[in-house]
Amino acid sequence: MMTKPSIVNRAATALLALTTLFALPVAWSADARPAKAAPEAHAKAAATLGLDGRVQDVKGDVIRLNRDLLVLEEELLFPANTQVAVFVSMDVGKLFALDSVQVTLDDKVVSSYLYTPLEVQALHRGGVQRIHVGNLKTGEHTLTAFFTGQGPHERDYKRGATVKFEKTTGAKYIELRIKDSTGKLQPEFDVKVWQ
Amino acid sequence: MGRFVPKDLPRRLIARTALAAAALALALPGAAGAADKFRPVIQEPHYGDALFHFYQEHYFSSVTGLMVSQHFERVAKHADEAEVLRGGLLLSYGLHREAGEIFAQLIEKGAPPAVQDRAWFYLAKIRYQRGFLAEASDALARIGKNLPPDLQEEHVLLHGNVLMASGAFAEAAKMLASLPKDHSAGPYVRYNLGVALIKNGEVADGTAMLELVGRGKAVDEETRSLRDHANLALGFSALRQQRPDLAKTALERVRLSGMLANRALLGFGWADAEAKDPRRALVAWTELAGREVSDAAVLEARLAVPYAYSELSAFGQAMDGFNAALEKFDSEGKALDESIAAIRSGALLNGLLQSNPGEEMGWFWNIRVLPEMAHSGNLAQVLAQHDFQEAFKNYRDLNFLAKNLQTWLDKLVAFEDMLTNRRKAYADRLPQIRAQAAEAGLGDLQRRHDALASQLERAEVETDAAAFADSKQADMLERIASARQTIAANAGDASLVDAAEQLRRVEGALTWQLAQEFPARVWETRKALQAVDAGLAQARQREAALARAQVDEPVRFDRFGQRIAELAHRIRALVPRVAALKAEQQGQVQELAVAELVRQKERLAEYVTQARFAVAQLHDRAHLAQDGEHAKQP
Repeated sequence: MMTKPSIVNRAATALLALTTLFALPVAWSADARPAKAAPEAHAKAAATLGLDGRVQDVKGDVIRLNRDLLVLEEELLFPANTQVAVFVSMDVGKLFALDSVQVTLDDKVVSSYLYTPLEVQALHRGGVQRIHVGNLKTGEHTLTAFFTGQGPHERDYKRGATVKFEKTTGAKYIELRIKDSTGKLQPEFDVKVWQ
Repeated sequence: MGRFVPKDLPRRLIARTALAAAALALALPGAAGAADKFRPVIQEPHYGDALFHFYQEHYFSSVTGLMVSQHFERVAKHADEAEVLRGGLLLSYGLHREAGEIFAQLIEKGAPPAVQDRAWFYLAKIRYQRGFLAEASDALARIGKNLPPDLQEEHVLLHGNVLMASGAFAEAAKMLASLPKDHSAGPYVRYNLGVALIKNGEVADGTAMLELVGRGKAVDEETRSLRDHANLALGFSALRQQRPDLAKTALERVRLSGMLANRALLGFGWADAEAKDPRRALVAWTELAGREVSDAAVLEARLAVPYAYSELSAFGQAMDGFNAALEKFDSEGKALDESIAAIRSGALLNGLLQSNPGEEMGWFWNIRVLPEMAHSGNLAQVLAQHDFQEAFKNYRDLNFLAKNLQTWLDKLVAFEDMLTNRRKAYADRLPQIRAQAAEAGLGDLQRRHDALASQLERAEVETDAAAFADSKQADMLERIASARQTIAANAGDASLVDAAEQLRRVEGALTWQLAQEFPARVWETRKALQAVDAGLAQARQREAALARAQVDEPVRFDRFGQRIAELAHRIRALVPRVAALKAEQQGQVQELAVAELVRQKERLAEYVTQARFAVAQLHDRAHLAQDGEHAKQP
């Protein structure tokens, strides 16, 4: 009969090698601190950390640069004395499934926006969307917004809200709000002009 | 191209669930949890705008937009919350130092307790991530009772992890026992703890912990995968303790269609072999040996099957099996060489980028689809590894940054054009406006205004009602004066006596009327003069503004020009830095993949040696048997 040890022992070695696959680091998490390792592995880890550190540094630099570029862009394109920004928010919003919003300023369409489910979810969670940013002269202006979607009982729903506002020399922020009227069991749409 | 479920999915999942919950808590002041239950109260729309991007996992847009709003002081009412959010977002990008400074500042400046507790929590997290366990414990100890509900569970998880990393497994187990049973990260933590306990020699406790996971409910692919991991770990742990019965019980729970099925089958066969039942072992190993050969377990099964035949004294089949295995190992070795060459040519990373697109810099992003390339099965293992995923994520982030910088360079060119156009428009319009201003003759207007004002004053002092006569009255006064002259010229004419009397009456009536209207007309004139005053003042302001603009606008244009130039310079300085790091990162990612394939080649070489040795043994045995037969013959 064939002697057992050779293949069995070797297979056992292989088995052990395989088993090490399951001896995972203590914390199975991206948060995990570097596991203890042999000196050689340490040196390799240090080199990796060096690259990782430099990558993080460059990420930080690009983030700060983007901030400065966005500030420049805003000051150049939408200076505060003419800037008007329009926002959309949703308070609860259970009585209205938002599909799209159209915004007109002084009878001119400035934004038509079709929402993805992820965006609607973000609004539900308290996010506020800046749907339009532009420039206006000082004086009186009229903003109108049309909301389309599904209202109670899955009925198609289209409603409008309008507001007249005075554009002064400071930036003007206008928020289009979708609310639930629990009393009427209907959605409500109103406009808030931030001071 | 097939869907790829990474082997160490749980490792990322725990990070994902932990970070997602933590991130949610970041954004929700004072309360976190189910998003619909706890909505932040938005006091400034721009803070809501940052959250809008944040909730969609557009973290780059969120953090940069938030920083812009902070610059313009548009989120002052959310100052602390905005800082916690910014710190958390920077932390997610691995910017530990900056994130740490933000949280430390929040504590230093005496932010409200709820903010401070969160700041301590994130400081603890940063310290833990960086390996400062004592400091992490210290930060954890400073957290009060103001953490939002979800962060309280994260707090327990983090504390458990810190204790585990410090080797305090019993305390960690006690700590983690306080987690709600349905906590999404609970099974991952129990898994980690189970593996750690077994590694530490506390096999019974570790096994009990893994049993909880291995027998637990699994509601989706990710938790099912984790359960497979636990059962596999249990099975191999039992095999090491020479407990084949226990090993088989655990391995039977691993799904045959899952990523770990091959290893489970291999272990199952070894359990039967350990139980001295090679015939049963053949069932699992034969099934395994017929599977995709790039898997290490399948390669090992190619050896295990002929081994089992030899155990059953089926030496012919054993010999055939070993020879077939040698052929397979040879072709597998060539496939590995091809894969290594493909990786070094950049095909792997290009393929991965194409098959795993994403919008922004990653956080929870991970590789889901294998690239289109030959023998990609060999890479499944390395691609699934945490180190590889993280390194590739960095590579992908650098790719995003390179594109971001290029986009801004293009935009800056447009900004420069815009500025040039504005300068030109300004230069074109200025002479016209100057001419208009000169035409208006503000000085002349002022003089006319002053003359009117002195006339008004005189008329008022002298009670000169006639000065306020309207055109009809003025005409009347003129006619009266003319009539009076005519009468005076004909003084002796008796026929004019009645006319003179009539004239006297008319003049008296007009004087009476003017006297009656005098106060109102003075008031009206004064009011009109005041309006002229205001108009003139406005005109003077405009004139001053125009004069100022003539000085300021060119300066403003110059400043914009300087800023554009300075930012373009910063971009140009970053472009080669990003490119160099990208190349370095690419090399690192590729070498991680190559190293894994080299390991596979080494294992293959070991299998080849084993197979050749076994073939030689079988030959020896056949020769010995033949010699024995010859010896028996007369």
